[in-house]
Amino acid sequence: MRLMALFTFREAWRKKVVLLAGLLTLAFLILYGTGLHFIVGDIAYSTDHAAVSFFEMMEAITLFSMGIYFAGFLVAGLAILAAVGSIAGEIENGTLYPLMARPLSRSDLLLGKYFGLAAMLVTYAAFFFLALAGLIYWQTGLILPGLAPALGLFILKPLVLLSITMLGTTRLPTLGNGVLAFGLYALAVAGGMMEQIGVLMGSPAAVYSGVIASFILPADAVYRMVVATVIDRLPIGSGQDTPFFNPQMILGPFGSQFTPSDWMLVYTFVYIVILLAIAVRTFNRRDI
Amino acid sequence: MVIIEVRNLTKVYGRQVACRDICLSVEEGQIFGFLGPNGAGKSTLVKILLGLVYPTAGEAKVVGCAPQDIKGRRQVGFLPENFRMHGWLKGEELVAFHARLAGLDGRTAKRRAHEVLELVGLAGEGRKQVANYSKGMQQRLGLAAALVGDPRVVFLDEPTSALDPLGRRQVREILLTLREAGKTIFLNSHLLSEVEQVCDRVAIINRGTVVADGRPEELQAGSAKVAIRLDGLTGELVAELRRRDPDLQLEGDRLTLALNGRVEIAALVTRLVAGGCRIYEVTPGHNSLEDIFVHLVKEGELVCG
Repeated sequence: MRLMALFTFREAWRKKVVLLAGLLTLAFLILYGTGLHFIVGDIAYSTDHAAVSFFEMMEAITLFSMGIYFAGFLVAGLAILAAVGSIAGEIENGTLYPLMARPLSRSDLLLGKYFGLAAMLVTYAAFFFLALAGLIYWQTGLILPGLAPALGLFILKPLVLLSITMLGTTRLPTLGNGVLAFGLYALAVAGGMMEQIGVLMGSPAAVYSGVIASFILPADAVYRMVVATVIDRLPIGSGQDTPFFNPQMILGPFGSQFTPSDWMLVYTFVYIVILLAIAVRTFNRRDI
Repeated sequence: MVIIEVRNLTKVYGRQVACRDICLSVEEGQIFGFLGPNGAGKSTLVKILLGLVYPTAGEAKVVGCAPQDIKGRRQVGFLPENFRMHGWLKGEELVAFHARLAGLDGRTAKRRAHEVLELVGLAGEGRKQVANYSKGMQQRLGLAAALVGDPRVVFLDEPTSALDPLGRRQVREILLTLREAGKTIFLNSHLLSEVEQVCDRVAIINRGTVVADGRPEELQAGSAKVAIRLDGLTGELVAELRRRDPDLQLEGDRLTLALNGRVEIAALVTRLVAGGCRIYEVTPGHNSLEDIFVHLVKEGELVCG
């Protein structure tokens, strides 16, 4: 499994997947940083971090949340595209046969590929997250509250998408799997947005549809957990404890109007494990 | 010792029968030729033997193990048809990676990779990216990858299809060297002359069924053609011979007919002389593997025991 994971990681590196993603990310960061600079320039931020007001903090967090919301699309796209043909594509072009004739179990091959891609995606997502947090600090002086747990949650998102795409590639052709994975991701994002709007507008039906979408693919739910983690860790006495005021409302549909339950996090881990188990089982049973 | 054993193996895809009740056994140290027209079930059987495809019924053993058994696969090498490999790797990296998968440590894998690249005629080409290799070079590289783990059994699916005549000869020499080293080779090929030159045993598959299995000379020992230049052939004798072979040809002084074997040639000549013919020339025809193949594929004759 280790050999396969290293092989997959090297493949992503050599095929310039990381380089291309890096260039796109750099373009995104330049655009985002420029926008951030001019937005922040219009708001008089205190250079003394301790003196940053609650609303200044919320503005910075809103800008950060929007950044990671869109960064999430790039990370998700990379996760899906990297894994979409990792089994089916190799069967279609014939490169899997010589590997499968080796003393390598199918589960080792599949999980090796998963962990190799996961290592690449986690590195990429972490770099992206920290770059955004760094830009926020540079422009506003705010050290993001709950930086480490938020980072841990952010890197969970590509792992969720990777697991569903790996399951798909054990059974579906590359194109079909891509359509399915992007379709489910779109469903999760739309569901998550509907849930937040549902809360703001007081529509339980919209909220429930969002919750169902989160169970089908907890990718957007992970983003909401990231935002909730940051907001919940705002320093005490910053003004966020104002009665009848939910600071998440400032973030609008980019926020997390309810802090997702810890069970959602447990569900996400179980979801990844179960999907991988089904992927191994499906791959073990199929003819190649 | 039997190193590949197949018993009553059947594989059905939906309504299509790819292999039907196949029985085969291959002795260790043999070059075994597996022939058949396109779509006959050759590749399906090879895939079953490598654990890539699950049989619907029957069983197969390679090196005493079930095809899915990792222990057995340590002793197997495979060159698939239309060999395709990860183009982003360098040749030597690819072969060394296969060596690592076969269980060799890093240093041994590199050394072994150089050895097999030299064996297949790619010494000095190992640092090129696979994507820049020609088709022939890729096929040689695939052969190197198949051999790098020093397997006891090597499955080669059309190993020379992309090679020029010199390359084919070189591969034939490699196969013979491997046989001398005691390796077993399961050779799947359309190039019947090539199979004829190197194989110890041959099986022919048609429509998923083995229709012939034996040593090439045994298969060739069947019906044989003979051409005789003669005169004095009477209508009565021609009628008698036509009962033996309805397709006999008589063109001028040249008579061509099929016999059940070369041993019948002497009796035929005796009969013709007794019938008043003068014989000028007798040319026994050579039954090539291609003749046998075409004949059996047409006939669909079941020989599997």
